[in-house]
Amino acid sequence: MRWFGFGFNAFTQTYVQEKSGEEDSCSSEREVKVSVPVELHSHALRGRISASWSRTASLFLDQDQCVYLAGFCASISSGSSGPVTVDTSGCKDAIISETHLSLAFPDRIESWDLQSKNEAPSWRMEINTQSENSDLKLPLVPGGYISSKSPVFHSLSSHLQAKSLALGGEHAVLLTVAGAVYTWGQGSHGQLGHGGLVPEEEPRTVEALWGMSMRSVAAGGWHSICIGDGGDLYVWGWNESGQLGLPSRGLRKTSQQKTDPQEEPPSKVSTCLGEELHEEVFISIQAFPALVDVSPPCEIRTVSCGSRHTAAVTTTGCLYTWGWGEYGQLGHQTTTSLDEPQCVEFFSSQNLHVVDVVCGPWNTFTAAVKKEVH
Amino acid sequence: MTSLWLKISAALPPNEEQFPLTFSDKVPLSVVEMLKLARKQLYGNTTSASQILNAQIIVDYSWERLNMGTWRDVDKEWRRVYSYGCLFKAVALCRENPLEEEILQAIRTCDMALLMGAAIMENLLQVIVCILQTGIRKLAKEEDNSENIEAKKRRIASPHVGLIKEDLSVPRIKCPSLESFSANHLLPLKPVILEGIIDHWPAFNKHPWSIEYLRSVAGCRTVPVEVGSRYTDEDWSQTLLTVNEFIDKYILNKVGVSESGHKAVGYLAQHQLFDQIPELKEDIRIPDYCCLGEGDEDDITVNAWFGPQGTVSPLHQDPQQNFLAQVVGSKYIRLYSPEDTAKLYPHDSQLLHNTSQVEVENPDAERFPEFVKAPYQECVLQPGDVLFIPVKHWHYVRSLEVSFSVSFWWS
Repeated sequence: MRWFGFGFNAFTQTYVQEKSGEEDSCSSEREVKVSVPVELHSHALRGRISASWSRTASLFLDQDQCVYLAGFCASISSGSSGPVTVDTSGCKDAIISETHLSLAFPDRIESWDLQSKNEAPSWRMEINTQSENSDLKLPLVPGGYISSKSPVFHSLSSHLQAKSLALGGEHAVLLTVAGAVYTWGQGSHGQLGHGGLVPEEEPRTVEALWGMSMRSVAAGGWHSICIGDGGDLYVWGWNESGQLGLPSRGLRKTSQQKTDPQEEPPSKVSTCLGEELHEEVFISIQAFPALVDVSPPCEIRTVSCGSRHTAAVTTTGCLYTWGWGEYGQLGHQTTTSLDEPQCVEFFSSQNLHVVDVVCGPWNTFTAAVKKEVH
Repeated sequence: MTSLWLKISAALPPNEEQFPLTFSDKVPLSVVEMLKLARKQLYGNTTSASQILNAQIIVDYSWERLNMGTWRDVDKEWRRVYSYGCLFKAVALCRENPLEEEILQAIRTCDMALLMGAAIMENLLQVIVCILQTGIRKLAKEEDNSENIEAKKRRIASPHVGLIKEDLSVPRIKCPSLESFSANHLLPLKPVILEGIIDHWPAFNKHPWSIEYLRSVAGCRTVPVEVGSRYTDEDWSQTLLTVNEFIDKYILNKVGVSESGHKAVGYLAQHQLFDQIPELKEDIRIPDYCCLGEGDEDDITVNAWFGPQGTVSPLHQDPQQNFLAQVVGSKYIRLYSPEDTAKLYPHDSQLLHNTSQVEVENPDAERFPEFVKAPYQECVLQPGDVLFIPVKHWHYVRSLEVSFSVSFWWS
């Protein structure tokens, strides 16, 4: 398996470019915004990636079962910018936020404050190894889930039977063993999918999806997405950058400006803009789940959300991305945002079959294998 | 254009050491690192493009934080970080012989910080935007001379008076004493139109407010605009436009056909324009009668209301006393006493409970049978008039022509 990364790279958290000998190249646009997928050479093995805004945590499951950090490292080592090894041997799961690294071991969960110099975890919980819940994936832990803001631990009612949990900017999306979806947290941008914009303190079932079984859930800064049993995609929340894959007015405005650099100062515009004449329905906030069309029609296997973008992998090994593209996180060799799913040509052109995708807030990581030649 | 850069750098701290960057632990170290890098670049010789890129990263990240949760819960530190990002970006835009478009973009960037950020470094952004505006005006003058020398003193069309029923009209008095206003109107909470109390405003004399004047003082400044005829409408929205764009699109209607075919109404409403553009503040004065309140002068909220004919503020009430001063054009206003709230059918939702569901000038008698029984007062406010709207008094406002009003909320 080969891992690739693209998007925001100001802290070299996505990939470290080989030194070109040129001084003061640290902030050139080409390096900060990686818009073409780059192979991560250190990731030749089976593993798991988790990314925050400025850092990436990679867990290697095959060999040493260690977590490697890349990106902004102010307190983990003395300011060096290269990847740093934290003593994490025996680790089986890891997630990272801007301030905390949370690690799951067979017998315990630990949360490390990345901004302090403490040599002990800031929070820790023992796991009864007899418990049947010990194979939960972070942020789920036995009895509840953990977040990077205090309090770290939040309990979840056992009747929910959580299968997986996605934490968004300020909301949570939970998938139960039975395939039902529950949401709670901030609802100001429709990210809870209950039709309103009010917050919910307790998990509340997304009624619009009732009766349909879901396979997987993901959450972005202000949007949520889930995959139905048939591989279909449902989205809800804020569509500010087209992250829902539905028509976004903000995007149309920007593209008008970008395609016409010689635009007259607005004070001199005296005619109607053609675009405004024919009726178009734009979605700013989608407060109920909506089906997203991916064309050509296909079955989705995995989905992940950045703060304002979305990435989905089909069962046929294609990667589709949409939403905010300013830092190259869509991988389409541009920094344009998109309000409809578009296939990332890089992988098909390299004969690569994408098997997994994980988004950081402003970047994207994918795992791919060489297509079998018949 | 190097003179512009000289003025800007003179307004900045002389060196990196004297440029403050301190934040609470709400701001992660990675973000602080990015801010420090931007500061270092400001005093170094990095290219302007690279500086803009780093500033934009700070703007984008803090913008996301500003949109997390509800506005009043956003930590002030994030509004400060946003202001710093905008400051670094605006300054970087003007570094290398900026084109007019780049200066305009820098002004828009400063305005975003003034609208959404928090004050930093003794209001440095206000100083910078002032320098930039002066720079732009010089350019504009040069263009004016070569292009058109036609007289630009066109005043906004004179008002026409609607029909007001004599027995319902709000009483008018000329320059009452503080004592008499207090005894007859403020204490009994009775609406009244005060005449002759703002005639001395420079907005009527020294700088008579006109479209051209507003363009010259504020044309390139970005302001929030409400689009849609009423804030209770489904398709109502808010957008950010420069004053020039707003005037062209919604006041002069150069562009104005919406998707559905009819004209969309744009309204620069309830905006603290005078804090954003101190030059305009010079043209108005806080009415003396506000001193009858208990609050400080700093507690008075001054809002601008600038829009075309036909803007409507649905029947609603505010939690403070209000002086509504009419500077340009005229407005029809209907007032209901808080005693009659039950007849006015306020919305049930928490967000709109201070707003009536009734369309005042076209009431649905079946849904709202009590409404027609509610007694009311009405008036047409003319330039120079100041309407006293007592606290909690319900009011409905419709502009009869292009109109500019200034409201003072006080307690």
